Amino acid sequence: MRGLAQSYREALARLRVQALLDPGSFSEWVGPTQRVTSPHLAALEAPVSFDDGVIVGQGLLHAHPVIMIAQEGQFNGGAVGEVHGAKIRGALLRAVRDKPGAVLLCIDSGGVRLHEANAGLIAISEIMRALFAVQEAGIPVIALIGGACGAFGGMGIVARLCDVIIISEEGRIGLSGPEVIETVKGVEEFDSRDRALVWRITGGKIRRTLGEATLLVDDDIAAFRAAAGEMVGARSLFLKKRGLNPTTSSLQTLQAAQQQLGARAELDAEIRDGQVLWSRMGLGDQVSLMSPEQFNRRLEALES
Amino acid sequence: MDALQPIRTWNHEALRRQARLERSMPFSRGKAVATRDMVSLLEALLEPGDRVCLEGNNQKQADFLAESLAACSPQRVHDLHLVQSVLALPAHIELFEKGIARRLDFSFAGPQAHRLARLVQSRSIEIGAIHTYLELFGRYFIDLTPQVCMVAAQAADAGGNLYLGANTEDTPVIVEATAFKSGIVIAQVNEQLERLPRVDIPASWVDFFVVAPTPNHIEPLFTRDPRHITEIQVLMAMMAIKGIYAEYGVERLNHGIGFDTAAIELLLPTYGESLGLKGKIARYWALNPHPTLIPAIEAGFVERVHSFGSEVGMEAYVAARPDVFFTGADGSLRSNRAFCQTAGLYACDLFIGSTLQIDLEGNSSTATLGRITGFGGAPNMGSDARGRRHASAAWLKAGQEKNGGQTSVRGQKLVVQTVETWREPGHPAFVERLDAWQLKQDMGMALPPIMIYGDDVSHIVTEEGIANLLLCRSPEEREQAIRGVAGYTPVGMARDRALVENLRDRGIIRRPVDMGIDVRDATRDLLAARSIKDLVRASGGLYQPPKQFRNW
Repeated sequence: MRGLAQSYREALARLRVQALLDPGSFSEWVGPTQRVTSPHLAALEAPVSFDDGVIVGQGLLHAHPVIMIAQEGQFNGGAVGEVHGAKIRGALLRAVRDKPGAVLLCIDSGGVRLHEANAGLIAISEIMRALFAVQEAGIPVIALIGGACGAFGGMGIVARLCDVIIISEEGRIGLSGPEVIETVKGVEEFDSRDRALVWRITGGKIRRTLGEATLLVDDDIAAFRAAAGEMVGARSLFLKKRGLNPTTSSLQTLQAAQQQLGARAELDAEIRDGQVLWSRMGLGDQVSLMSPEQFNRRLEALES
Repeated sequence: MDALQPIRTWNHEALRRQARLERSMPFSRGKAVATRDMVSLLEALLEPGDRVCLEGNNQKQADFLAESLAACSPQRVHDLHLVQSVLALPAHIELFEKGIARRLDFSFAGPQAHRLARLVQSRSIEIGAIHTYLELFGRYFIDLTPQVCMVAAQAADAGGNLYLGANTEDTPVIVEATAFKSGIVIAQVNEQLERLPRVDIPASWVDFFVVAPTPNHIEPLFTRDPRHITEIQVLMAMMAIKGIYAEYGVERLNHGIGFDTAAIELLLPTYGESLGLKGKIARYWALNPHPTLIPAIEAGFVERVHSFGSEVGMEAYVAARPDVFFTGADGSLRSNRAFCQTAGLYACDLFIGSTLQIDLEGNSSTATLGRITGFGGAPNMGSDARGRRHASAAWLKAGQEKNGGQTSVRGQKLVVQTVETWREPGHPAFVERLDAWQLKQDMGMALPPIMIYGDDVSHIVTEEGIANLLLCRSPEEREQAIRGVAGYTPVGMARDRALVENLRDRGIIRRPVDMGIDVRDATRDLLAARSIKDLVRASGGLYQPPKQFRNW
């Protein structure tokens, strides 16, 4: 009795974890029963969450052991505080020790939790350092981005450090969020209420077009699971195809990224809207209405 | 045979009409009026005390004509009696503030509800009555016949024939009543064409037309973004489908315009299909072309739809589905409020809609303090047509239930109210006393503005379950049945537990579990579309949503 697919965007983090991994395989670390909550929020008499808005643990993806980190966008916009950040860092360091097939990082976050200011900022840099350690150990980190909060602020940077980004059309990646840009630079610079514009600049399709996201999938947990499974199961195969195998050559990865950035710099500075880019690429003016499958097909045809 | 008896004239109205036309001659060329001459034309032909209909519907508004009338000199034009469906525009209110109009008979005042209430309190307006649409249309032919009507059309040709486009709405009934009782018909059109796609109003019924400076504004009132449908609404929609549509075999129906009923529309192709209900329920509709109906149409649930008016963005989709919608030879939708209301009243077995307040007798009202909203069409559709003669399975079953299991001489329409127990924090949907009573007192009305009369309501659906009021055998049972689905509202908390359990044993109150519905299944994943974009995709790109609903 299912209608559409099970929406990734609308699911809570716990449901995502459950549906992404092999049934019943997940075991959580520092789960909500331990009630490790934020001391900063408590000091401000703000509501706390028993898992501080992030779920970490281990499980199986198509029978391969993986470490799972999933932010809950519905608690404080998935923002990173001290405990939240420590849980992510701890899970990453555990990966260095246990050597799972991959780390799945389900990002759904506006960035640093403002209530925790410096502690949150420090947490972000600790996450980055731990992430490098995981990559150094030859374990790919796969970002899954499709929640309502997207991946912004510090978590936007973390996302771009990952080996692979699987994103839905509804997913977004950015540094400053649209509202922040509008507040600082004015509505002429960026109208945050123009939802169409926001998605044409930060959304999954434009990020995939620019090569910043690796794969565009439907807003469907099963589609995210299938895409992630492909990377873990035959990971060398998939990653080799793209020349991005961090387990064998991190220099190569960096060079590829450098090349990509070089290509970005050559883009016309006048392009301030995804639609302009798509039109120039010959994708027409209906890109937003293409299904991810149609879009991927058209884009791959252009890329090859 | 007395030669001294004064000769009685029988064409007084026609002579008056002639005089009006002669006075307006300087301001028109044939039937065509220039925009700059419109105010002078109105000042010339209108007489104090005239009954005037300014076409204003749910959607289409004769906005240029309303503004022209409001710009008339109150010395020359005053004390008009407005007889019209909807008071929607600021210009409508201005007419009363300036004294151009004094009396009002109407149906609905959505956006101007607050200002209207203030006019009443400052005694700047006399309200004749608040009508349902059909009542008002009926009175156009009895005692409220307009002397001058001002309507909105899509296009005119040089001779004055009118093309109404997809939004026919009230125009035919207004023009019929005016033109055939020696009245003056004035139309504002969006464009003048050499050749009309079709003639909806013949030129001989039209006295003047003007090409308005801007096309008449149409609001997308019937577009519900599926993004905002909640899981509670999904649960209630599941109950309505399984507990009412399926049980009674409801094939002909009308839906309200809220998110509750949009949820039902979006559950038909998923949940409805899984229950094997395709072809058995929800086949024929009196409904505007709701975008949320697209998935059910595409899935083959919906066979036919007749509409009151159109909906912005649905033009191409409707034109591509002529088997489903009523369309003209030009391909565009043919809507008609008067006929569709009649269909909703007499030819449908079920009405379901939401409301703001329900009392212990089941009376429901959308009136809140300080606002006079009126009714529109819901009371016509949401009432049992006592004069109905033709039978249907749903109508007979409902009639039998009301009659204690016996076959009666008549059946009963299913009139369903679907509400969440709390509308919003602090505002329960269930109340001991409707705000409508206070409003009646404050506004000096003859009656409280009740939207749906309690004795017409057959079922109330909330997240707590369904109350079947047809099966109640006393006012006490009815009250407890309502309290029994009122949840944690004060009305619900005051229920008699034993009585409510008894009602549940008898199937008068049914909880989701009693219907075999697992509340954990009620997720948004059941919706056939979760966003406007899903609707566009379901329509194969034919549905073109207005800008405010796009995020691409």
